[in-house]
Amino acid sequence: MIRKTFEHELQEVRDDILVLGSMVEEAILASVDALKKRDIEAAKNILKADRDINKKRFEIENKLMILIATQQPMAHDLRLLASSMEIISELERMGDYAKGIANINIRMGDQPLLKPLIDVPRMAQKDVDMLHRALTAFVNEDVEAAKAIPIEDDEVDALYNQVYRELMTFVISDPKSIERANWLLWVAHNLERVADRVTNICERTVFIATGELSEIKNSDDEFWKQQKS
Amino acid sequence: MKANRLAVEGFINDVKGRNRAGVIWHLIFQASTIVGIIALVALLLNIINGAFGYVAFEARVDPASLALDGLPLEDQSKEQLIALLQSNLSSGAFSKLEREQPFDKRSREKLYQQVAERIIKYKVVKVWDLWPSLTQVAQIRATLAQEYPNAQLKFVSWLTNDFITRPQSSEPLTAGARTAILGSLWTILFTILLAFPIGVGAAIYLEEYASDNWLNRLIQTNINNLAGVPSIVYGILGLAIFVRSLERLTSGAVFGLVDPTTANGRTVLSAGLTLGLLVLPIIIINAQEAIRAVPQSLRKASYGVGATKWQTVWSHVLPNAMPGILTGTILAVSRAIGETAPMVVVGASTAISFDPSSPFSKFTTLPIQIYQWTSRPQAEFRSLAAAAILVLLVMLLSLNASAIFLRNRFSRRW
Amino acid sequence: MTTPETNGKYVLEAHNLSIFYGSFKAVTGVNMSVERNKITAIIGPSGCGKSTLLRSFNRMNELFAGTRIEGGIIFEGQNLYTPEIDPVEVRYRIGMVFQKANPFPKSIYENIAWGARIHGYKGNMDELVESSLRQAALWDEVKDKLKQSGLALSGGQQQRLCIARALAVQPEVILMDEPASALDPIATLKIEELMQELKQNYTIVIVTHNMQQAARASDYTAMMMIDDNRAGTVIEFNETNVIFTRPSDKRTEDYVTGRFG
Repeated sequence: MIRKTFEHELQEVRDDILVLGSMVEEAILASVDALKKRDIEAAKNILKADRDINKKRFEIENKLMILIATQQPMAHDLRLLASSMEIISELERMGDYAKGIANINIRMGDQPLLKPLIDVPRMAQKDVDMLHRALTAFVNEDVEAAKAIPIEDDEVDALYNQVYRELMTFVISDPKSIERANWLLWVAHNLERVADRVTNICERTVFIATGELSEIKNSDDEFWKQQKS
Repeated sequence: MKANRLAVEGFINDVKGRNRAGVIWHLIFQASTIVGIIALVALLLNIINGAFGYVAFEARVDPASLALDGLPLEDQSKEQLIALLQSNLSSGAFSKLEREQPFDKRSREKLYQQVAERIIKYKVVKVWDLWPSLTQVAQIRATLAQEYPNAQLKFVSWLTNDFITRPQSSEPLTAGARTAILGSLWTILFTILLAFPIGVGAAIYLEEYASDNWLNRLIQTNINNLAGVPSIVYGILGLAIFVRSLERLTSGAVFGLVDPTTANGRTVLSAGLTLGLLVLPIIIINAQEAIRAVPQSLRKASYGVGATKWQTVWSHVLPNAMPGILTGTILAVSRAIGETAPMVVVGASTAISFDPSSPFSKFTTLPIQIYQWTSRPQAEFRSLAAAAILVLLVMLLSLNASAIFLRNRFSRRW
Repeated sequence: MTTPETNGKYVLEAHNLSIFYGSFKAVTGVNMSVERNKITAIIGPSGCGKSTLLRSFNRMNELFAGTRIEGGIIFEGQNLYTPEIDPVEVRYRIGMVFQKANPFPKSIYENIAWGARIHGYKGNMDELVESSLRQAALWDEVKDKLKQSGLALSGGQQQRLCIARALAVQPEVILMDEPASALDPIATLKIEELMQELKQNYTIVIVTHNMQQAARASDYTAMMMIDDNRAGTVIEFNETNVIFTRPSDKRTEDYVTGRFG
């Protein structure tokens, strides 16, 4: 096969992105788990692990730059490499969100949770599940799968709204809890952003496979319209 | 055996043997070259040997006795020489000379030559080659004193300026090659005038315009074959066509310029045309090669700016091919100069003493002169022939040199 | 040179063009339109008929015996392959630059003046020579040595001289057959720069086997490929950035990504 070396290197890029993805998945789950258990040590480990995520991201970026400079990628190859740059950026941001959750955990210190975490872990699970499938779709360039994932963002958004309403109730009834409520809201907000970023990854996957660059419509706008009404 | 780091498993590399074979072939080629050089040197030495040497000659009448009132023969005027001739020759001989060319038309030098030839009558009694002349001088003098006590001994270079400028005569001491040289040059002039335009034109047509069909291939094959036809055949062709059939043209009758001494077709013009036919195939083939060697990219460039075929040929192909064409032409001409057999057939005179004055005159050429002199029994004529050969060689060398010069000049320009 | 009065978006069009060498069909069924003042590149694997197609635009194919075409080539609304039109006229309205620079073995001045002269140019020759050399980005380098031989220049300069020579007869279209393939990278880039400047006044069609050059330098790209009968045809024709980022035909994709050819 022609360009055997190049093919091999492209496959390595995909593998690296999967590795980065699994690092991020782990970070998200671990950060929420640590928060649930109020495990400060675990939270600190997550902060350390984030450095590894950043390092990995820069490694992959470097490889991509080299491939673009030396291999004159065109058409599909070009779309793959350019999109990979975007995707690792999204993944790194997701890693930062996990780090943010760990930070909140540490900052809360000895204070107990405002309420037992139920929806937040569900959000985290959903995020990781979506991310995993999105990355699988990316590696396989599965357009159908990629187009189907963004709509699940609605579920995450719904969970976020629920958390939001619950926390508002707490704050209204006990204004002193506003700090802890704020923190929890922030955690939920991070997890909601993770899902949004997964949508971006899906859009990139569609672009790689078809050359179309567009937002995948989910019913986000409609949902909010419904909420407000 | 020491481990050889350059040796590889599976190869028996007999480097020494290979080099040896190379050296042997090198020597063989060198030997071939040396043999060629030896042959060439032998030829040259042989000729030079014959062109210089001691000559013993006697005069029948002592030139000093022809002095007029103390005025030696060399200083006498034209009229005095004419008077001398009249008084010493029979009336018949005198009037014959008058008829050939009136005395007042002859130059003083020519008259002197006639005096030397007919009155003094220098006679060569013995001739020696260069090598003995240089190495056996004493023996020569001894022999001479014994056999020809009255003879004078002189070291003669048969190849002198006089030799080139004197016309032919039957006396070896006063014979010159001028008639033959001029005859050759005149002949070559007509050869070039005929063969060059036609040859180059045919080459242009065949290379640039002719399509590759059976007819043109036939023509091409025939031209190639004609180049190898023996020259005597061209001589016979020339005889039949130019001398006989076209006699009115080649003798000048058509123009009313008939040479009084020969009212037939055996003229310089016929000879030139015959040689022209002989070298025509050579010129065509050479010119074709030269045109073919012009790179196709040049033609494409010319067509690319919208030139027609003729503009391309005239402005680009021909100038580019010209060095090759000229070289080929000059080489063909060198060959033509040396042709003897066709000239004999076409009727080169073997004994004329008058320079050709028009295309329609009788003529002789240098090779014919050489041939004629070598067939005479007297030894001195062989020396003359050797001198004439040297002249011919110089002409050929200068033609070749000019070919090289032209070629270099043309290719250096670009 | 195109003037505002010449109308029509497309300077050159090929309509169902097929080119035959004798009985062998080398190019088949080409339909493409060359837009004015743009650079159109023709790419494809070796032997797919790119140069044959290019040469048909200015009837240079007729220099080879036995070539003929079917279909038509329209230049400024005029079919080029009609008996009334002499190929000689076509070739100076549509000029050509070749793969290996082939300046005439004459002086630089003569190289440019000769073409103009044979077409009856009556204006100021010095000015024409200067303007052609300026347009070819060569004037500054040779203005002091116009009498020198054209062959004394470097490869890149010789190629620019050939471009100047083509420009001197004021064509509308310049055809370039792999003009930089024999040049070093710097000279190649200079030629590409030159093409960008020239396209303001001329239309350029370039055949190249260097894909990066086609990607860098052209506005439109035609992708040629051999079909099963060993005839070349244009399988895709589009804006260059589309061909190189999202081509429609898989064969094009394979070619530009280096997986084929």
